[in-house]
Amino acid sequence: MTDVLIQIVASGLTLGAMYAVATVGLSLVYGSLNMLNMAHGAVLTLGGYVCYAAMTLAGLPAVLAFAVAAAVCAAAGLAIYFAAALPLLRSGNFETNIFIATIGIGSVIENLMLKTFGPYPIPQPLAVPGHLIVGGVHIPYQNLFILGVALALMAAVAVLLQRTRTGRAIRATSMNRDAAQLMGVRVGKVYAQVLALSGALAAVSGIMISSIATLTPVMGGDPMLKAFIVCVVAGLGNVYGAVVAAILLGLIEAGTQYVFGVRWSFAILLLIVIVVLIWRPYGLFGRQQVVRL
Amino acid sequence: MSPVRRDILIGLAFLIAAIALPLLVPGRYIVTQSTLLFVWAIVVVQWNLVLGVGGIFSLAQMALFAAGAYATAMLGFYWKWPMLLAIPAGGVVAIVVSLVVGLACLRLKGPYVALLTLAVAQVMYVLIVNDTDCFTTTGGCMPLFGGVRGIGQFGDIGLRALFPSKWYVAHYYVALALLAVAIAFSVVVIRGPLGLAFRALRDNPGYAMSRGISRFKYQLWIFGVSAFFTGIAGGFYAVHFRVVGPSVFSFQLLLFLIAMIVVGGLGSIWGPLLGAVLLMFADEAMKEFSDYRNIGLGLLLAVFVIAWPNGIVGWIDTLRQRRRARKAAAELSR
Amino acid sequence: MAEPILAIRGLRAGYPGNVVLKGLDLAVPEGRITAIVGPNGHGKSTLLRAISGLVRIEAGEIALRGKRIDGRRPDQIVEDGVIQLPQGDLLFPSMTVQENLLMGAYRKAAAADVDTRLGKVFDIFPKLKERRGQVAGTLSGGERRMCGIGRGLMAGGDVLMLDEPSLGLAPIVIDQIYEVIFDLRRRGQTILLVEENAQRIAEHADMIHLLDNGRFAWSGLGPDLLARPEILETYLGA
Repeated sequence: MTDVLIQIVASGLTLGAMYAVATVGLSLVYGSLNMLNMAHGAVLTLGGYVCYAAMTLAGLPAVLAFAVAAAVCAAAGLAIYFAAALPLLRSGNFETNIFIATIGIGSVIENLMLKTFGPYPIPQPLAVPGHLIVGGVHIPYQNLFILGVALALMAAVAVLLQRTRTGRAIRATSMNRDAAQLMGVRVGKVYAQVLALSGALAAVSGIMISSIATLTPVMGGDPMLKAFIVCVVAGLGNVYGAVVAAILLGLIEAGTQYVFGVRWSFAILLLIVIVVLIWRPYGLFGRQQVVRL
Repeated sequence: MSPVRRDILIGLAFLIAAIALPLLVPGRYIVTQSTLLFVWAIVVVQWNLVLGVGGIFSLAQMALFAAGAYATAMLGFYWKWPMLLAIPAGGVVAIVVSLVVGLACLRLKGPYVALLTLAVAQVMYVLIVNDTDCFTTTGGCMPLFGGVRGIGQFGDIGLRALFPSKWYVAHYYVALALLAVAIAFSVVVIRGPLGLAFRALRDNPGYAMSRGISRFKYQLWIFGVSAFFTGIAGGFYAVHFRVVGPSVFSFQLLLFLIAMIVVGGLGSIWGPLLGAVLLMFADEAMKEFSDYRNIGLGLLLAVFVIAWPNGIVGWIDTLRQRRRARKAAAELSR
Repeated sequence: MAEPILAIRGLRAGYPGNVVLKGLDLAVPEGRITAIVGPNGHGKSTLLRAISGLVRIEAGEIALRGKRIDGRRPDQIVEDGVIQLPQGDLLFPSMTVQENLLMGAYRKAAAADVDTRLGKVFDIFPKLKERRGQVAGTLSGGERRMCGIGRGLMAGGDVLMLDEPSLGLAPIVIDQIYEVIFDLRRRGQTILLVEENAQRIAEHADMIHLLDNGRFAWSGLGPDLLARPEILETYLGA
């Protein structure tokens, strides 16, 4: 029994860590721009493929490939800002329009990768061999590596948001756009920074996810949907809540997979989300915004 | 010209052209493709009511379509219902599904609705595709919902037997009739009290709500009623293709349909229909470049939302307003 | 009279389909209190928002020390030295008091000597020092206003614009807040003040402008307004 529990906790934490990295970017972007970035999954896939290409085709060392993937995806985030978000911010109905526009952009990126790399699964070369044995359970170093990278990244993001001038400006913008402008914050710059950061984080989670599964052009869809669910459960735009919710949902997913099988885990996850939302319509950690009519 | 009379004229012109089409064009291809066009047009006209009029950011439209299609197929397959009964029953099942989804989602804010409805559709897809337990073994192993292969052999509406060589023309006219009803319904909704209520909710939510217009109630109404026509379109789709499978949940199809609405004009009466016609045409014309189809579709969607958020119909409206303004200015200066 | 520090000529501004300001001229003299009074909904806040660049300007110009600032981005206008303390404070609710104050010193000119500025604000409002680690969303109304004003002072701008600093406060707290404002004036701070209640500031304001329906209906020295009961009654219902 304990080895089953260890197994569930180990894979749950790994899942949760990956979701957390994918979610934080989404949550930051929603928090500061009110933008649901439906291209996030495609950017995540892009990161996985760039890392693969940098390692196998260009022969770069793993660390460098990691950095190249993050840089390319940060640039993709910037491109999304300048090509779609910036022009749409000037017109009305931003939330709906950017949602639709990023669905289109995501499809473009995804299909470009399909054209370039083909539809067949490719193994991610960035892998850590070996495993650890805890209480009779094999835990691959790969999982621990993912957990470690995710924790380090979360800590870095937290320091950025809490301790730096840039981070304070990002938080201020997400709390009150007008007030941030009246403090002298150039919100356009904050938006660009947030989208670039979110792109880089997506690249990392794409590399992580493809390293325990495989690279396919459609691999981003599932983690993106789960990252959105995490966001919704935590309350959209709540970054720290998103991390907690990501880990929770990772554990729940691992647990339901064991008890009910893979087929039902997503359905049960969704059921839990809907129950949470009926109970707390603004998410577990979300606060209702006062809407003035 | 009053808007209603203009709607009737446009509708009649379209109807006459559509009735004449099978008599004018040779061969089978154009007619069958147009039948498919009408099915998608029904879906986008109803989706437009939800999205553009009701302001409900639902991505579950194809899930409702699938509910109708699967219900029709399963009633025919398991209980041997006649299709003429099973198709309306499929519409009713779609209403039930939409009400369940609506009750769970519609009290939430817009983006939450979009994500949850997308997730609901995804869950339905996953559950159907990953089901490998045999529910029945007559004629081979088949899961309850047909699994990856889908459900077939559930009957027909009888037009194939009635017109053995021209059954596809008969199906064409059935689809056209369904589309005409769906459009008439959407005109009634947009120009009628329900449309008025939604316009009030959009323009001054505080006042509208204080006058007793409940957003939730009206949204649930429009969601449920549009689900009925969508479900019927699904049922007809099942009968027309004699099979229904999980491909109706495909994201590319969703993209194709949402692009029709956006290109035509979100929230307008004729925009979605226009978009459906244009995109089906473009899809045919670009067949040689089908490798780039989804890239083009994505670009089209993004470019339209960014450059012409109100679609072609919105663009025409602006032109007309400008011309009217110029005319008025010219009269003033005279 | 010396050249005004902030000069507005022929300002038309508002929201799509709704022009709120219909051609305003205003001169804000340096080191004085200029007050804008008038009934609610006649454009007082819109005027400040237009100066800060948050509302689109249709016509007219705004100049700071002779240099045009209309058309510049809100953050650039803050860098130029025009600081607005918005109505209702608009604090950053999940930040601590200290973080809010640090946000006030976001502009480059203020970021250099944050610590001295923080010390000065804590001298003026000792209560903020006590509450520096508390999350701003949990402050009382009076403390919130102090935090809002403190945050504005952190920026150290040339022109300080306050939008109804007395709004929603108990009379005793209002007196404290105005004491701080009048003290700033004594130290030479240029202040542009929006206030609904004319009597409250008439004595202390150097210039008063009465804003009615997007235009100035009356302008003059503060004490002069008190001598015109018919104006007070017509426009302000006093």
